[in-house]
Amino acid sequence: MTVSAAPAEAILEESRGSRPRRLRGSSDARAYGLGTITVVYLLWALVPVAITVLFSFNEGRSRSTWQGFSLRWYTWDPTGSVLNDESIRTALMHTVTLAIIATSITVPLGVLFALALDRWRGRIPAGANFLALITFVIPEIALAIGLLFMVTYLATPFGLGAWAQVIGLVTFQLAYPIVICRARLLTIGSHYEEAARDLGASAIGAVRRVILPMLFPAILVSATLVFADVLDDFVIVRYLSSDASTETTSMRIYQTARAAPTPALNAMATIILVVSTLVIVLGWLLYRRWLKRQGQATDLGSFAGNL
Amino acid sequence: MKDRSTRPLWPILGLPAIVWIVLFFFVPFYVVLCVAFGVVDPIFRSPIPVWNPLEWQFSQMGVVWDRLVGPDNFYLPAVIRTLVYVAIAVTSCLLIAFPVAYFTARYAGKYRGLVLALLIAPFWISYMMRMLSWINLLQPEGLVNTVITMGGLIPIDINWLSGNPFTVVMGLIYGYIPYMLLPLFAALDRISPSLIEAARDLGATGMDLFRRVILPMSVPGIVAGSLLIALPMMGDYFTSDMLSKSPNTAMIGNLVNLSIVTPGQAGQAGALLILVLLVLLAPMVLYTRSNAKAEVRS
Amino acid sequence: MVQPRRPLSRRRLLQTSALAVPGSWALAACARAQPLGGPTGAASASGGTAGGATSAPAELQIASPTNPVKWPINPGNEPIASGLEPESNATLRVYNYPDYLDKGVIKDFQKEYADYNVKVEYSSFNDYPEALTKIRSGSVPYDVTFMSYNYMARLVYGNLIRPLNHDYIPNISDVWEEFQNPWYDQGWQYTAPYVIYTTGIGWRADIIPEDIGARPDPYDVFWDSKYAGEIAVLDDDREVIGMTILRDGGTDVNTSDPAVLRATRDAMLEMLSISRPRVTITGYTDIPEGVLSLSQCWSGDMLTGQFYMPDGVDPSVLRYWSPPDGRGVIGNDFMLALKGGENPVMAHHFINYMLNDAVSRKNSSWIGYQPPLRSLTPDMMVADGLVPANLASAVVKPEWFQVGYPLLELSPEVETEYQAIWQQFKAGA
Repeated sequence: MTVSAAPAEAILEESRGSRPRRLRGSSDARAYGLGTITVVYLLWALVPVAITVLFSFNEGRSRSTWQGFSLRWYTWDPTGSVLNDESIRTALMHTVTLAIIATSITVPLGVLFALALDRWRGRIPAGANFLALITFVIPEIALAIGLLFMVTYLATPFGLGAWAQVIGLVTFQLAYPIVICRARLLTIGSHYEEAARDLGASAIGAVRRVILPMLFPAILVSATLVFADVLDDFVIVRYLSSDASTETTSMRIYQTARAAPTPALNAMATIILVVSTLVIVLGWLLYRRWLKRQGQATDLGSFAGNL
Repeated sequence: MKDRSTRPLWPILGLPAIVWIVLFFFVPFYVVLCVAFGVVDPIFRSPIPVWNPLEWQFSQMGVVWDRLVGPDNFYLPAVIRTLVYVAIAVTSCLLIAFPVAYFTARYAGKYRGLVLALLIAPFWISYMMRMLSWINLLQPEGLVNTVITMGGLIPIDINWLSGNPFTVVMGLIYGYIPYMLLPLFAALDRISPSLIEAARDLGATGMDLFRRVILPMSVPGIVAGSLLIALPMMGDYFTSDMLSKSPNTAMIGNLVNLSIVTPGQAGQAGALLILVLLVLLAPMVLYTRSNAKAEVRS
Repeated sequence: MVQPRRPLSRRRLLQTSALAVPGSWALAACARAQPLGGPTGAASASGGTAGGATSAPAELQIASPTNPVKWPINPGNEPIASGLEPESNATLRVYNYPDYLDKGVIKDFQKEYADYNVKVEYSSFNDYPEALTKIRSGSVPYDVTFMSYNYMARLVYGNLIRPLNHDYIPNISDVWEEFQNPWYDQGWQYTAPYVIYTTGIGWRADIIPEDIGARPDPYDVFWDSKYAGEIAVLDDDREVIGMTILRDGGTDVNTSDPAVLRATRDAMLEMLSISRPRVTITGYTDIPEGVLSLSQCWSGDMLTGQFYMPDGVDPSVLRYWSPPDGRGVIGNDFMLALKGGENPVMAHHFINYMLNDAVSRKNSSWIGYQPPLRSLTPDMMVADGLVPANLASAVVKPEWFQVGYPLLELSPEVETEYQAIWQQFKAGA
């Protein structure tokens, strides 16, 4: 799904506590009241998920009555567990594969476009940017059906299936890196690049060795967000899927939840949750590490040395 | 000193994305038009797209139009219902998200990072999984009913999953509220503390401060957040499908979905989609414009 | 760094739309000769395209018990030769309702044909219209599918199914002889029978103590506000329309009479406001779990429901009713080999395997539906304990096929009418 990117970056910056907050003169009662609302909201938002994770370790078949702790639905149930049910494993593999491929296409495409948009005036890039922003807010079903029709009625080299799903996902997510990187580029400004050019770098060299490194945090953030979002996507992958081998975990949850779900479903959802969390944490760690290293490399002197 | 040789660089960098957008956003949209304004073969009733705009047929659009405004307009209740659900859901999201975002921006202090991380968490917890959790809890013997009836003491008997519109609206709220929280938080965060202190120094307190300083400044964030969730919500069909399965809660997305899977009705699905997009065009443009303005301002 | 005020000016818009006409020529050149898969009627009318032409007649031939049909074998779609070896390393793609084939049976099949290293991939559809749309689009090379009468003519004329070579399917002798020459496929050229069923009403007796069958018109329970909010009808347009026609006293569930259809539509909308039913095929889990207390369902649903009971609830609370004289909706599903499949020989072997007496019994005990086996008479089913006493009414008697109402294929115009009714029903009151 979508979110305006500048806040995403801002959030990650803010949570490092870079700007101090003073509550001089504020009402404590108000703070506690709002705080309570926030806590209640967080509980409402996250407790159901915690329960789902909990029941993935349930001994019996029920998803609402606790029957004891067991890894049954992960390993030893003969037909239903994640290990033994091929359809669940296929769905997990396919979801992660789609996410990796889609992210690797979306992020470079978006970053390059953001760079171009920063410097290239004109109607064509502006029009394309406009369309990209529209994909942010358009109901996903419209995009999915458009691509479904295109694959069905035009002689595309691919049919429905993994490639169509990747294309749909990239198109839907393209706005993320564009918006995030563009916002970051606006903050960076043009003087670093100009300085590098003045010191003799070529246009491409300036971009490669000055701008891209400075852009890295934004690239990282967009890659993380896109990856997590693709893991979760439903409408596009559903309409563009072909047979059972192109099902994703969200599709499996949807189909099975309407029929006869067992805790294996919870197990599958938990695994995906773990994967996304790992990716997010990885992205976060890389981001912080990079920023720490940035502290040494931001001044122009070392840039001149590198050129 | 502008070097002329940099000029071709930027278009080349931007070209892949532009080609992609044209190929996979623009062209599909045109194909939808051609199918919606195409014909249907008489025996198998499969849609045949008509590529030349000059030869477009409007019969399928006519059918959909009739179902919306004609004498037998049975699409209209679903459309109205969707608008009502979305309005209620967006308003409720706002009422819940605003205090939470406000707290996080202004009062969280040293817990800010933690709270933010928890607020962002739903983004990477699959939407489907969150819905799944709720289906679980809303079962007749699930946790919600157990809590409400205090373990069977109070004889309230609500079947949440029986096509109850309340459940569907709650599902929408639950699913989309994280997407409103972040823009709202960002907007509230941007209000500089010195401005607030200045207002306080001038004598504004409490309700006054909120009404005359904070609220007006958060309007762009409210608008952006509302559009950001309202527009995708209009196309939602799986929330109603998973939590209700009753025609009494059918939304526009359900209508489109049904037409797609029914043989011979792809053209009608396309026509309905086009109408929906036309209606949503103004808010979509509004959103992109306000986004551009926000960029300029920052 | 300012974005232009108007990203899409009017002049630009006009310029772009002017591109539409020549652009459309370019697209037309890129269009597929046939939409992914099946040729359309229009293509065949113009004398066939690059793909195979269909022999679509001006009118589709509709089969019925009073009008048995022997389908043509289209040129280019002859049955495969006899004596061929099954394909090695095949991925046999089966397309069926969810939970409608025992996974254990699939594993057994793979073991039996382990020499050929076959892998079965099971995909599911929600209803026949969805299946037909997917099959026609040709997007997936399914090998075997399971269907009923609704689309036989379309499948044949659309060149979507493959005529069977009977040499590969000796197990046909395990099933009722009628199926070697059924009215919907004389000479069983394309089909092999799967299971038989009736459509009726299922419920849990501990939640609904009333004996639904004792009502003068049991179908009326869906227009009774007594159970509003806890009931469901099948997510199948033909079944719901059929039931409404029967409730109103009609007997032609395939009628094209506009007056009857209008009345049916009004009754269905009335149903929505009176009893607010859900629309789903998952009654076989929802009723056992208590999410629903009553649903329109197929006879096998309650039988398989026994395995979905939550802990602590005895399966004997399940009930099923269908007209005891057999004058209700009755039908059978059958297996088809799809022309688009990549493993025709293995598909034949699969069909043959499913017809086998022992395999069929094992499959049925899991999916709940009754196989038309020679060795299995209805009286035996209860006596041998295959069917519990509380669900004896779910057993299908062969003589019912003489008086029951099958859901037949509809001509395109009539089908459009039915679709419109269903659309209106699903759009909500």
